[in-house]
Amino acid sequence: MKTLYRFLLVTILLSLVLSACTTTAPSTPAASESTVVIRAGTGDGGDGLTPHQQIIQNFEDQNPNVIVQLEPVSGRDYYARLLTQLAAKAAPDIMQIGDDAVPSFVTKNAFIPLDTYLKDSNFDASIYLPGLLEPGKIDGKQYLLPKDYSPLAVYYNKKLFDAASVPYPVDGWTWEDLLATAQKLTLKDPSGNVTQWGIQLPAAWTTGFEYWVAAAGGSLISKDGKNFAGAMDSPEVARAVQFYADLYNKYQVAPQPADMNAFGGGNSEFANGKAAMMLFGRWPQGGFKTNPNISLGVVAPPKDKVRANILFWGGFGIATSSKEADTAFKYLSYVSGEPGAQVWKDWALPAVKSVADSSGLSKDPIEGVWIGELNYLMPRAYTFTPYWNETADPALRRVLESVILDPNADVKGLLAQAAKDAQAAMDKLGE
Amino acid sequence: MNDTEINLALRSLHQKEALSFYTAIAPWLVGFCLFTAGPLLISLGASFTDWDLLTNPRWIGLENYRNLATDPYFAQSIKVTLAYTAAYVPLDLVGGLLLALLVRPRLKGIGIFRTIFYLPTVFSGVAFVVVWLWMLNPNGGLINLALGWFGIEGPRWLLDPKYALWSLILMSFWGWGRSMALYLGGMQSIPGELYEAAAMDGAGSFRQFFAVTLPLLSPTIFFNLVLSMIATFQSFTSAFVATNGGPLDSTLFLVLYIYRQAFEFFNMGYATALAWVLFAIILILTLLLLRSQRFWVFYLGERSE
Repeated sequence: MKTLYRFLLVTILLSLVLSACTTTAPSTPAASESTVVIRAGTGDGGDGLTPHQQIIQNFEDQNPNVIVQLEPVSGRDYYARLLTQLAAKAAPDIMQIGDDAVPSFVTKNAFIPLDTYLKDSNFDASIYLPGLLEPGKIDGKQYLLPKDYSPLAVYYNKKLFDAASVPYPVDGWTWEDLLATAQKLTLKDPSGNVTQWGIQLPAAWTTGFEYWVAAAGGSLISKDGKNFAGAMDSPEVARAVQFYADLYNKYQVAPQPADMNAFGGGNSEFANGKAAMMLFGRWPQGGFKTNPNISLGVVAPPKDKVRANILFWGGFGIATSSKEADTAFKYLSYVSGEPGAQVWKDWALPAVKSVADSSGLSKDPIEGVWIGELNYLMPRAYTFTPYWNETADPALRRVLESVILDPNADVKGLLAQAAKDAQAAMDKLGE
Repeated sequence: MNDTEINLALRSLHQKEALSFYTAIAPWLVGFCLFTAGPLLISLGASFTDWDLLTNPRWIGLENYRNLATDPYFAQSIKVTLAYTAAYVPLDLVGGLLLALLVRPRLKGIGIFRTIFYLPTVFSGVAFVVVWLWMLNPNGGLINLALGWFGIEGPRWLLDPKYALWSLILMSFWGWGRSMALYLGGMQSIPGELYEAAAMDGAGSFRQFFAVTLPLLSPTIFFNLVLSMIATFQSFTSAFVATNGGPLDSTLFLVLYIYRQAFEFFNMGYATALAWVLFAIILILTLLLLRSQRFWVFYLGERSE
């Protein structure tokens, strides 16, 4: 009995110590001496991991002395996890991050510049479709290479257009065309209840809203990335906010958000065949294509003063702490290059032009629209300051929530206040 | 055996006992130092620095604490947290007590009800928030559907800054089972003869409740009060999952704001300063409650003055 007790104690103590070790440095599979193990972190999860695994499999088949370990952390905890790992100097060799995280991670030295690697390996950076290298570039140096991306577009349900005998929207249409089309497709029953909405909009999604600002010819921040006054409170931004709010409240062609916190408003009207159009990125498209309520068409977002679009982007880079940077680059140029794109193309828009062309996606009536939009990209606000998320984003969100919730909101006053709040937060950082 | 021998034997027994004591609590001790005391000290140190987690922390003294004064989101998050605590804690105390009284009688099958009421506290926080999201959905959610049967047009709940915090309070009713279980335990330790005596003196069930149950339950009420106050100040999951602090920052709990500063804005130094302020608030309120004990908490076996 006594020996059993001692044995148990020792086991508990040992397992405690061992588990303490393994939490900081994940165990690696048995590897022979010449084998190099690199770790790749991703924020994808579920089905999204399949292309990663497939690319890793292909890569390992061609490079038998390399093992790539995928470390997925999905959801909003990904950055929290990554930051903790970086602080503990235990970050993965390859890290995947999204567009607006690039400036802060890069200015804080989390990634190594790739330029020498690109030059030494003769990696042809012109293989990418237009605009896809920029989000990974800071001060002229390339830090990340593209994984996947999406601009915005307007989905439309041909069934509902046909039923109302409204012509499909075409490239080059304007905000006025959008309003007129949405009004024709908003249907009410005799007692005045809306039975079908013209367009489903992404609620108080601040980054998505930058499209409206860009199309109106405005900008949310000064070019030097320091001032919000004269930008966020400009007449162009006011026009964008007013038009957006009017679609909800004055013309009532858009359903109120179902969940202000859910990405894009949490509405399901378009998926249920209860909304004729929807402005969003490409992410839910797979589901729409197989949805029996929908006969899908996709068109560029309408123009106002400017034919504009914005890009959402994810990319891979190499951690500064990586001890296997050479091998990591080998994998990076594979996963972000042509061989990787051959796999991505079945899951997302491929970044490599030759793959997009040879697979016919560039000419596809739906996918071609998304790829074509890369020619109209305007810079997002985060590219002007690494502090966008903590200064102006909450202020802008406040404006959008206010105008959607309150039909009598004073747009100009709200924007003036937002510019002031954002400026105060920014000035405080500068102190 | 002479005295010295006995002393020696005793001493070695003591040493042996001490050794097994420390061996036995070693797992806890090591765990406490590594995972609680260590991070605690580090976070205190970090609160005096400017630290983005990626580069080395820079010592800035009290600046983080000074910045609190001019941070509108800090003020808002304190307001929201206090409002939530002020509404939730009394509701939890009374609600839990009512539930406990309801399931107290030893009837056949009462265990099933006790289990049902307790069950939500065992569920994962995220899962039950998601269920509430469906119920609170303004278009076709269960609650507005039910209100519609009575001709009431339900509010837009989580979408309306006026109702969002109340929606979270409504959600938290599912946590009543925790205090119910504690009350039940407390009630079981009340000696039955007190009720017999009260009944003989002609006290009805109401009088019995106020003269016997309530005073003898006061230690449990006190315990629940402290526990529920501490837990409520640290509310996070419901706002993180359901509202992300919105709309219009109406549900911006302090802990949610701490998370945002730490992991969304990369201001770990400022976030730890916020966390220590939260700790100070909870500590002060807990001490105040402890001081108030002697005015209203009655322990059996103690003579009241």
